[in-house]
Amino acid sequence: MAAANEPPERHGPDGPGGPARPAGPPPADARDVRDGGPGDAVPGARDREADDGVRIGKDVRIGKDGRAGEDGRDGAEQRPAVLSVRGLTKRFPGVLALDGVDFTARAGEVHALVGENGAGKSTLIKVLTGVYRPDEGELSYRGEPASFATPLAAQQAGISTIYQEVNLIPLMSVARNLLLGREPRRRGGLIDFGRMHRESERMLLDYGVRVDVRRPLAELGVGAQQMVALARAVSAAGRTDVVVMDEPTSSLEPREVETLFGVIGRLRADGVAVVYVSHRLDELYAVCDAVTVLRDGRLVHTGPLAGLDRLRLVSLMLGREMGEVRAEGLTKFTGDHGTGEEPVLRAEGLTRRHELHDVSLEVRPGEVVGLGGLLGSGRTETAKAIAGALPLGAGRVTVAGAPVRTGSTPAAIRAGISLLPEDRKSEGIVPGLSVRENIALAALPRMSRYGLVSEARIDAVVETFVSRLRIKAASPHQKVGELSGGNQQKVLLARWLAMQPKVLLLDEPTRGIDVGAKAEVQKLVDELAEDGLGVLLISSDVEELIEGSDRVVVLRDGAVVGELTGDDVTEDRLMEAIAAAAEPGTAPAPAPGAAGAKAAGHG
Amino acid sequence: MKPHARTAARTLLAVALSASLALAAGCAKSEDDDEGSTGAAAGSEEAKGSEQKVSGGSGPTCVIGDYGAEEIDLAGATVGFSQSEKEANPFRIAETASIKAEAEERGVELLAANAQSQFSKQISDVQDLIAKGADLLVIAPLNSDGWDPVLKSAADKKIPIVTIDRKINAEPCKDYVSFIGSDFTEQGKRAADKMIEATGGKGEIAILLGTPGNNVTTERTKGFKDRIAEKAPDLKVVFEQTGEFAREKGQQVTEQLIQSNPEITGIYAENDEMGLGAVNALKGAGKEPGAVKIVTIDGTRNAVQGIVDGWIDAVIESNPRFGPLAFETLDAFTKGEEVGQDIVIEDSEYTADNAEADLGKAF
Amino acid sequence: MADLTLRRALPADRERVLRWLQEYGVYLGVALLLLVNIAFTPHFLSAENFRTQAVQVAPVVIVALGMALAIGSEGVDLSVGSVMALSTSLVALYMGYGPWIALIVAVVGGAAVGLVNGSLIAFIGVQPIVATLALMVGARGLALVLLPQLEDIRDPGMATLGSGEFAGVPYVVLIAAALALVVAFVVRRTTFGRQLLAIGDSRPAAKLAGLPVRRVLIVVYVVCGVLAAVAGFLATARLSASDPTSLGNLMELSAITAVVVGGTPLTGGRVRIGGTVAGAVLIQLLTATLIKHDLEPSWTQIAQAVVIILAVYAARERGKR
Repeated sequence: MAAANEPPERHGPDGPGGPARPAGPPPADARDVRDGGPGDAVPGARDREADDGVRIGKDVRIGKDGRAGEDGRDGAEQRPAVLSVRGLTKRFPGVLALDGVDFTARAGEVHALVGENGAGKSTLIKVLTGVYRPDEGELSYRGEPASFATPLAAQQAGISTIYQEVNLIPLMSVARNLLLGREPRRRGGLIDFGRMHRESERMLLDYGVRVDVRRPLAELGVGAQQMVALARAVSAAGRTDVVVMDEPTSSLEPREVETLFGVIGRLRADGVAVVYVSHRLDELYAVCDAVTVLRDGRLVHTGPLAGLDRLRLVSLMLGREMGEVRAEGLTKFTGDHGTGEEPVLRAEGLTRRHELHDVSLEVRPGEVVGLGGLLGSGRTETAKAIAGALPLGAGRVTVAGAPVRTGSTPAAIRAGISLLPEDRKSEGIVPGLSVRENIALAALPRMSRYGLVSEARIDAVVETFVSRLRIKAASPHQKVGELSGGNQQKVLLARWLAMQPKVLLLDEPTRGIDVGAKAEVQKLVDELAEDGLGVLLISSDVEELIEGSDRVVVLRDGAVVGELTGDDVTEDRLMEAIAAAAEPGTAPAPAPGAAGAKAAGHG
Repeated sequence: MKPHARTAARTLLAVALSASLALAAGCAKSEDDDEGSTGAAAGSEEAKGSEQKVSGGSGPTCVIGDYGAEEIDLAGATVGFSQSEKEANPFRIAETASIKAEAEERGVELLAANAQSQFSKQISDVQDLIAKGADLLVIAPLNSDGWDPVLKSAADKKIPIVTIDRKINAEPCKDYVSFIGSDFTEQGKRAADKMIEATGGKGEIAILLGTPGNNVTTERTKGFKDRIAEKAPDLKVVFEQTGEFAREKGQQVTEQLIQSNPEITGIYAENDEMGLGAVNALKGAGKEPGAVKIVTIDGTRNAVQGIVDGWIDAVIESNPRFGPLAFETLDAFTKGEEVGQDIVIEDSEYTADNAEADLGKAF
Repeated sequence: MADLTLRRALPADRERVLRWLQEYGVYLGVALLLLVNIAFTPHFLSAENFRTQAVQVAPVVIVALGMALAIGSEGVDLSVGSVMALSTSLVALYMGYGPWIALIVAVVGGAAVGLVNGSLIAFIGVQPIVATLALMVGARGLALVLLPQLEDIRDPGMATLGSGEFAGVPYVVLIAAALALVVAFVVRRTTFGRQLLAIGDSRPAAKLAGLPVRRVLIVVYVVCGVLAAVAGFLATARLSASDPTSLGNLMELSAITAVVVGGTPLTGGRVRIGGTVAGAVLIQLLTATLIKHDLEPSWTQIAQAVVIILAVYAARERGKR
C-alpha cells in the first residue's frame, strides 16, 4: 500500500517476522555510519550515496536490498513479531509526521523507540495504540492485518499503554482504580470489598508495589500510581501482548525506576513485547534489547541495541556523522569572539525536582556559550530557570556580580537577562498585536511617563530595529501573526534588544525558519556577541551549536556532564559527551579555567 | 426574591455557550417569583394591619375524620411553618410576621424555616419540620408541583397541612387540608373596575405586566382584561409590556410608553413597584399628578402614599396577613369542625377616599 | 483551473465581508434601527425620546466599559450586576452622610469585589468565569444582607443627579460619555492598556516578556468593579430608590452582549470601546423598538439572541481563517 507511493528502494527493513540480524562489527566506511550505524541489523538500512550538504533526514535510504528481509527469513532465530507496521505514513496539515516507517515489536523483547523532537515517536505510538489512523501503510498484529478504531479497541486487543501522566481517578481507592468496572461481586450485585482488596493487593505485589489498597490513589507516589495504571491496563486486557511505555521514568524517583525495570523484566520473561520510549541513554542500555531510531518522520535505524555503542546511537538520533571533518561551516557564525574577563552571567546550582540537578554555568561578555544535550536533557529548563520563568528548588543567578531573584521574570529582565523562548508562536510573539507593539512590549514602561505611552519614543525604537534587523513587514502596524517565522524571530530579538540586555538566552533561535532568515539570525547573534553581549545558545542543530558557540556546556538528564572548550568544540566531542555513560572520565574534561579559550574556528 | 444560585447557573450557561438562546431563557424569570411585591415599606414592619376576611364562598369542605388525622388541642401543639422566599419584600415580611405573631398570641410552639427561593430546600425544610415533631404544617409553597415526597411523609404521620398564598397540585382534604389565599383574577377584575371609574371608561390604557410565565401575572391580566371587555368596551388596551414586577423595569418601560403613546389615559400596573416606577417616569417626563390614571395591586405603604400624593388612583390590596386565618382554620379543623378546602380571602382596597386614613394599615 | 481560482476567491471575499461586519456591523445596525424607527415609530424623532434612550443605556454603557477590559484580558466579569446591587445597598446605608460619601463607599465596595475577583484570578489561577461567578452570588447576597428590601432615597442631590441635565444632556449621559472617553484613552495611550491587550492575546508570551501580568489583571477587575459600582450609584439616583433585589439583574449579560456585538472578540487581545458603546446602544434601540411597537417581550429576547448569534458568528468565521 505504502510502497506504491515510495521510491522502490525505500522498502522497510523488516516486515512482520522481520529480518533483523545479529549486529555486525562497526563498518569502517564512513558513509555506512551516517545513517545505518555500525550496529545496524539490516544490511540495507544504510545510505549508500554520498550526499553532502543537506543531510539531515533527506537522504535516508533503507536500502535497495531491503527486500532481502522478507518474512520468514532468519525467522527461526527470531522471537516472533507481535505488532508491526510497514510503510507507515501519517500526515498532518502542513507536516509529514511519519514517512514510510517500518517498526516491529517482538514477543519477549524490550524495544526502544528513540529520536529527537519531531522525529515522529509520539505519532508512531499513537498509531500503534489506536489514537491515530495511518494515512498509508499496514499494521499487523499477531500475524494478521489489523486496524484499531479507538484506543479502547487497541487496549482490548491486548495493547496496553502507560503515559507520563496517570489517567486514573485520584480520589478513589487504589483497589477501586485497579478493578474499576470489573469489581468482584457478591450474589445480588454488591461489591465484594474483601475480595477486591485481596485481589488488588496480590496484583500489585506482582509489580513490586506494596501499599494499602484502601487508600485513595492520590496518596501514592507517581511511580506507584504508574504501576497501578500499568497493572490495571495489563489485567484489564485479559491477555496483554504489547505494553507501550511513553517516557515512563520522567517523573520517577530512582528507586521507582528500579521497580519499573523489574516489572519490565517480568513482562519480557512473560513474552510480552515492550515498546519503550525514553531519552535517557542509560535507561535504554539498562533495559532494552532492540532499538528503532526515527528522525524527521523517517526510520533511520532499527536493530539490536547490544553492539550499538552510545556514540553511534547519538549520532543516529542527531543525524550527524562521526569523524566527518568539514572544511567549511554551513552556518553564518564566524565563531570567534573576544571574551571579557568577568562572567556577565553566573548560574550556580540550579536545581528543580525531576528537571535540573545542580546546573552551574557562566557566560562572559562577548561570549556565546552553547548548551548541548539531547531533547529532555534540561536545556530549555536551564534557560527558563535563568530567565526567572521556572521556580527553582535551589540555585543562584547573578548578573555582572549582582544576585537576581530567581523565579521572577520581571526581576530577571530588570537585571538584564532576556530569553528568546523555544516556542516562538505561543510563548514569544503576541500574534494579534502589531510589529510595533510587539517590539515595544517589554520596554513599554521605559518608553512611558506617568503610565502614558510616548508614541514618538516607540516609533524611534521600532524604526531603529526594523532597519537594523531588516525586519520585513508591510508596515510596523502589520500584525506579527501574519509575518514569516524568521521575521517573527527578528521582532522578538528587537523586543529584547530594545531592553539593552546584558545576557541573551536563545532557545532554538532558528527552528522552523527558512534558510535565508536562519543565516541572518545567526549573523545577528554573532554581531551581538561582538558588541559585548553574553549569549547562551540552545540548538538541536548540532552544526549551529558547534559553530555558533565559543564554549559548549553539555547537559544530560538535567545535569552538567561536560564542557567543551577551545579546540574541543567539535561535533564529535559533543556527541561523545552526550553519549558518555555516567562514569566520570568518559566525558571530555571540563576546563574550568579556560577563561580565554577560543573556539575552534570553522572558517 | 431572586433565586441567585439559579440565576448564576443560568448566566454561566448563557455565557459559556455564548449562544443566546440560552440568554433568552436566562432572561425569562421562572415562575418562582412571587406576586412581586418587591418591597416598599420603609422600615418599621407591623404585623398588625387590616385582618384578612374570608370572601363568602361555600365550596367543598373538610373534616378531620375524612383526612384521617386525630383531633388534638392546638394550644399544646407544635406548628411548623415553611416560608418559600427570603423575607426581602413587604409581602413576605408581613406574611411571616403575621404567622409568628398569631402563634405567639395563641401560645402555640412555632417552628419556622425559609427556603430562600430554592425548592429543594423547601422540601427538605418541611421534612425537617416533620422530623422535629411538628403536629401541624403551614406552608407557603414556592412551586405548585413536586410536593409528593413531602405529602407522603406528612400522610404517614397524619399531619394536617394548610397552604397559604399559593396552591399545590394535590387533592384537598386528602393530601392537604385547605388552601387559604387571594383570588388573583378577582384582584384584576377589581383593578379594572377602578380603572373604569378613574378614566370614565374611555381612552387608551397600558398594562405593566408582571414576570412572564408567572401565574399571578396571568390571572391578574386575565381578570383585568375580561372585566374591561365586559364593562367598558371603549377603554382600549393598546400597550402590554412586562416590568418584571420591579420598579426600575416599570420605570424604563413607562418612559418608552409615554414617548410613543403620549395620549395614554391610564396605566394598570400588576404590582405596586411597577406602578411606582411608572410614577417616576411620569414625573421625569414633566407630567402632572393625575394626568395619567394609575391603578396597582398589592397595598404597600409606598403605593398608598402615592394615592395620598395624587399620583396613583387606586390600589387593590393583596393581603399577606395569613396568621389569624391560618390558625383559625387549623384550630377549627383539629377540633373536628368543618373547614373550607378553598378559603379565598377578601382583599380590601385603597382609594383617595380612604388612603390617608388607612395608610397605617398598608404593609 | 479557472474554477479553482474562483473558489479560492470567494472565501476571501466572504472573509472581507465578515471582517467588515465584525468591525463596523454594529454601527450599521444602529443606523438601520434608527432609520426603521424614524420611518415607522410615532414620535421617535424627538429630543425627549433620544434623551430617554440615552439615559436608559447609560448604566449599561458604564458596566460594559469594564466588561470590555475584562474580555480584552481574555476573561469575563459575571459579578457586575451584583456589584451594582451591592453599590445600591451601600448608597442607601450611607446616604445619611450625603451623596458624596455614599458614592465613595459604593466605589470602595465595588473595588473590593474587583480586588477579590482579580486576586482569585491572578494569584490562585481560578478561571475568570468561575471566580466572578462566585462573587456574583456572594456580592448579591451581601447586598441583601446589608439592605434586605427596597428603600426610598429622598436626597435632593441624588434627585438632581438622576433627572437633572446640563445643556440639555442628562448628567447620567454626560458621566457615561466621559467614562467612555477615559477608558478609550487608557486602552490606547497607557502602558496599562497595551499590557492588557498583550496579556489578553497571549498570556505566556506576556509573562515571558516580563509584563506585570498579575497586577494588570487585578487592576482590570478592580476597574470593572468600580465602574459597576458607579453604574449602580447612578441607577439608584435615577430610581430614587435602592432596590438590591432587582437592580443589576442580568446586567452581566447585557454588558457582555454589548461588548461582543461591538466587535471585541471573546478570545481577548482587543478592546473596542466605540464598538462597545454602539453595541449597548444597539441593544437599547432594539429593546425600545420592540416595546414601542408593543411586541411580546419574548421577542425582545429572541431579537437580542439573534444579534448576538450574528456577532459571534462573524467573529468566529473570521477566527477560523
